[in-house]
Amino acid sequence: MQKVVTISLNGNSYQLEEPGFSLLRSYLDRAETRLKDSPDRGEVLGDLEQAIGEKCRGMLGPHKSVVSTTEVERIIAEMGPVESADEKAANAAADGGTASAEPASYGTEPRKRLFKIREGAMWGGVCNGLAAYLGLDVTWVRIGTVVLTLFTGVTLLIYIAMLFIVPYADTAEDRAAAFGVPFNTEDIINRAKKNLDETNHRWHGEWRRQQRHMNRQFRQMSEQIRQTAANVAPSMAPAARGILTVFIPIAALIGAVIFVGWILALISLVTQNTIFGWGLPHGVPLWVGIIGLFVLYAVISAPFKMVRHGGHHPGWAALSGVVWLGCALLFFWAAYYFFPGFHELVDQLMWAANLTMSTISETIV
Amino acid sequence: MNISEKLAPIRKGLLEFVILKIVAGDKVYVADMLKLLGPTEFATQEGTLYPLLSKLRREELVDYEWQESEAGPPRKYYKLTQKGRTQLSTLNDYWKELNRTLADFGN
Repeated sequence: MQKVVTISLNGNSYQLEEPGFSLLRSYLDRAETRLKDSPDRGEVLGDLEQAIGEKCRGMLGPHKSVVSTTEVERIIAEMGPVESADEKAANAAADGGTASAEPASYGTEPRKRLFKIREGAMWGGVCNGLAAYLGLDVTWVRIGTVVLTLFTGVTLLIYIAMLFIVPYADTAEDRAAAFGVPFNTEDIINRAKKNLDETNHRWHGEWRRQQRHMNRQFRQMSEQIRQTAANVAPSMAPAARGILTVFIPIAALIGAVIFVGWILALISLVTQNTIFGWGLPHGVPLWVGIIGLFVLYAVISAPFKMVRHGGHHPGWAALSGVVWLGCALLFFWAAYYFFPGFHELVDQLMWAANLTMSTISETIV
Repeated sequence: MNISEKLAPIRKGLLEFVILKIVAGDKVYVADMLKLLGPTEFATQEGTLYPLLSKLRREELVDYEWQESEAGPPRKYYKLTQKGRTQLSTLNDYWKELNRTLADFGN
């Protein structure tokens, strides 16, 4: 799942995946720097925006409304580095034998600096920035952080401190310094491409494949049960059939109860380290408990789900869905009013959601 | 350093001449210019072309007009100005002269 950013290019709006948006912003920032001394700066930037917009439109269709990061990369590669056409810059480029006019791009060894990096971050980008600084795979840094946190709480304090002290790599220059590589557009694109290919595609693809596989198996099982029920149904007495159909809403109700109970157990485990007063066995870390709860929920709720989806009449499935939703909402309402921990969590989530929304609307040009 | 790399500054310098030649024909849109240049030694990209066109317009060698397109917002179509036409014929003469000189040196 990718967050999407809406941008406006020359009066038209486009939706871009977030990493793609960052790339495009770096590209336009870079173009602006290059054209700093050009009297045509505004006009050229407008032209570039229109050309990018047109290319974006070319990527979209009736069933495709978001420009992917890979497509943004392709667009930027097609556009090519922006070169000022004015004498001074052109001469400098000819003298250096390269298209780059900035002396900072080469000569001195680029200096590495510690930044927080938003692109591909799980949360604050601290691990991401640290991985870039140390030249390590971010996954290892994350695992290291989690393991260290389990052994000593100080790690968490250091993490939070870094969250506040270490700056975000917001400009293209910062990002280049975070990785300690020379700063030019091609490098940024290549680096982003590499990261995306490695993290996104591999892990994301693998996860989705697993998910699809599970869904398929689940559907097959439900289908078998439905078939069996359908075969049995004609031979069943009407009363028996009635019992089966009555049981579907009941299964929905039980399913809802289990779901809410599971959520409450999770909250209780995270906030108080106990599941409704029952503590974890000594020496078992919190994350094992959380995974255990997930597994437990999946196991317990599976039969009820199957009954609900296995009904031989589609109308009943819809009804049970409504019943389930209604029950879940009712329980959430009850939990919100009578369970202080849940109340606080919801408030915090709402606050975080508000903050995120306002950040997004600020970044939209 | 191969020949193509060695002569890159020359091609760069000649790009302006090439653009004037293209624009001298019919009114052209940047995407069409890029398509024309694509298969040649002068293959270039928007990042280079737009700044160059803006400069040429500032020097009053080319001008553009907005034209509606079937899809999307109106596009800029570039054409040669009178001043551009004079410049182009000067450049043409100069280029022929240069060629003659080069050919003469070989013998």
